Amino acid sequence: MSKGKSTADELQQHLQQLSNAFAVRLQVELPALAQNAERLLHAADPQEQLQHLQSLRDQLHKLAGAAGTFGFSSLGQRARELEQEADQWLETLQQEQQSLQDFSHSLQQLALQQFQAERGQEAATRVVKPPRPNSSARRIYILEDQLAIGENMRLTLNNFGYHAEHFSHIADLDHALQQQLPDALIVDVNLPDESLTGLEYAASLQQRLDEPLPLLVITTQDDFATYLEAVRVGAMGFFTKPVDIPQLENRLERCFAQQQGEPYRVLIIDDDRELASRFSLILRGANMLVEMLHEPADIFARMRSFNPEVVLLDVSMPDCTGPELAQIIRMNDDWLRVPIVYLSAETDINRQMNALIKAGDDFVTKPISDNALVAAVFSRAQRARLLSNALSRDSLTGLLKHADIKEQAAVELERAQRSGKPASVAMLDIDFFKKVNDSYGHAAGDNVIRALANLLRQRLRRIDSLGRYGGEEFLVVLPDCPPDQALRILDEIRQRFADLHFIADGQQFSVTLSAGIASTDDAPASADDLLDKADRALYTAKHGGRNQVR
Amino acid sequence: MSELQRILHVEDDPSIQAVAKLALEAVGGFQVLSCSSGQDALDQLQGFAPDFILLDVMMPDMDGPQTLAQIARLIDINQVPVAFMTAKVQPAEIAHYRSLGARDVIIKPFDPMQLAAQVRQIWSLAHE
Repeated sequence: MSKGKSTADELQQHLQQLSNAFAVRLQVELPALAQNAERLLHAADPQEQLQHLQSLRDQLHKLAGAAGTFGFSSLGQRARELEQEADQWLETLQQEQQSLQDFSHSLQQLALQQFQAERGQEAATRVVKPPRPNSSARRIYILEDQLAIGENMRLTLNNFGYHAEHFSHIADLDHALQQQLPDALIVDVNLPDESLTGLEYAASLQQRLDEPLPLLVITTQDDFATYLEAVRVGAMGFFTKPVDIPQLENRLERCFAQQQGEPYRVLIIDDDRELASRFSLILRGANMLVEMLHEPADIFARMRSFNPEVVLLDVSMPDCTGPELAQIIRMNDDWLRVPIVYLSAETDINRQMNALIKAGDDFVTKPISDNALVAAVFSRAQRARLLSNALSRDSLTGLLKHADIKEQAAVELERAQRSGKPASVAMLDIDFFKKVNDSYGHAAGDNVIRALANLLRQRLRRIDSLGRYGGEEFLVVLPDCPPDQALRILDEIRQRFADLHFIADGQQFSVTLSAGIASTDDAPASADDLLDKADRALYTAKHGGRNQVR
Repeated sequence: MSELQRILHVEDDPSIQAVAKLALEAVGGFQVLSCSSGQDALDQLQGFAPDFILLDVMMPDMDGPQTLAQIARLIDINQVPVAFMTAKVQPAEIAHYRSLGARDVIIKPFDPMQLAAQVRQIWSLAHE
């Protein structure tokens, strides 16, 4: 298999040729760079300045990436430094432009206001920013030139508990954006009265922002080119008209859930403190939470307090070996879901196998590159979390499953009996759900179930628990909530649910729900008894004509 | 397990394209198809059926992440690992690229004599 010396020489020759070609290229590129720098100095306006800076930055970036490969290391190094400087300049200029625009806008606002002389001390009070209404609700801006569609979307999203605002014109949206940024933006692609398409506008907006906004796109054109353009401006969802709003809402929910993704928790057990700190630094750099354990005897306490999603374990430690420790962890069923990865200098495959047979899931061999370490841990943590969620959460709605929500009811009953603060439970059932499935298909039925799940999540408090109890049946547990309050909350949810419009096969339809409430005030004998009472109340609601809360 | 033979390399800079092709073919013994743009890569993707894809991050028109998103719609990137090549490497960026579906990031400038080994390592990690 050994390659002859001549082949190696040939390779070196080829490389040398490429390097020579690159040197020729430099004779053109470096003067071009200097010319661009000259243009930057003589730019007529800030906009032109920004353009030149951007192209300089890109040229430097290319040079920084390429030069070293062809042996021009110091040139590459210098290009890299200058690229970073260009980046800083770009940022400063953009900020200045933004502040100048804000300033000019404030001046225009000032001219529009009507002033009267103020009396006494108040004369000196500063201008107060408008308060953010209903600060807990997520703010959604909708750009849609068709009034009926935009307003319908706004009302429906508000029903879901968002704070949605609709704008028919880019100018109005721009104005609102200067007052306050939303948590997400929905734009229509086709805006016949504007000079820009919705996507072009979104692209320019995203560039102006420090952090891009979650963006959903609605359109009548579902061709590949439009999809591609949407992806390029960072759209997270794409919907064709007529828009199925509950489905759009579901996508919004997912965008926000992704944003809030908690960092992965990693426990490193290694007696070599220096190495453990190094690994910890690398993983923290990749936005993970890391704790280190140097004393194997503390493993139980640490597993319980930190609840890691991945354990990185040194194979050879003085007091107790990695495989022994892994077996100890595996004796506790609570931690079965946590992947155990051995860190070891061990390259002897047989000994690795032996360690894996005892316990543990994988091997990472030291020394390991930073990238490979992050990759190894990230992929395992991601899988572990997905698995853990899949096991305890309903796959369609993301709510708790039957057994888990029932247990939550028992926990809250016990807490209510201890604290004397009443808790309520509500059993909800979608009316005539079978008809939805039969008339519009199961996909539409799933959509209805998901919409109710999202509505409940939006309208209820953080401390409330939600579960999918059966097919179209939901159970809600409301701690510290007397029955009359529970009735009010659930009745509001009932109304909002009835107001949602679903679309399937181009047909619009609505669905209602019935609910039954029971409270710990009714002195239930057990959690089962409590749920039984709620079930009976639900039965009464169904027989009272449905679309009601009892 | 399949073998690593065919590599699709997407890079708009012709010099880098040439040196990477040489490095991967002469040192690694791989078969390399070089593409000059994301669209070019998408057009060639299914005909060439690569075992591994190397993507430059900064390209005009369609950049690396956009190209990756399109690639992932056409083929299973768990089977055909994709790695980015870039000069910008903050740990947070690496994590970001990985969250887009890339297996790893190869830092520019790269050493032509080491590139094949780097690619092979990423590929075998992906197929463990």
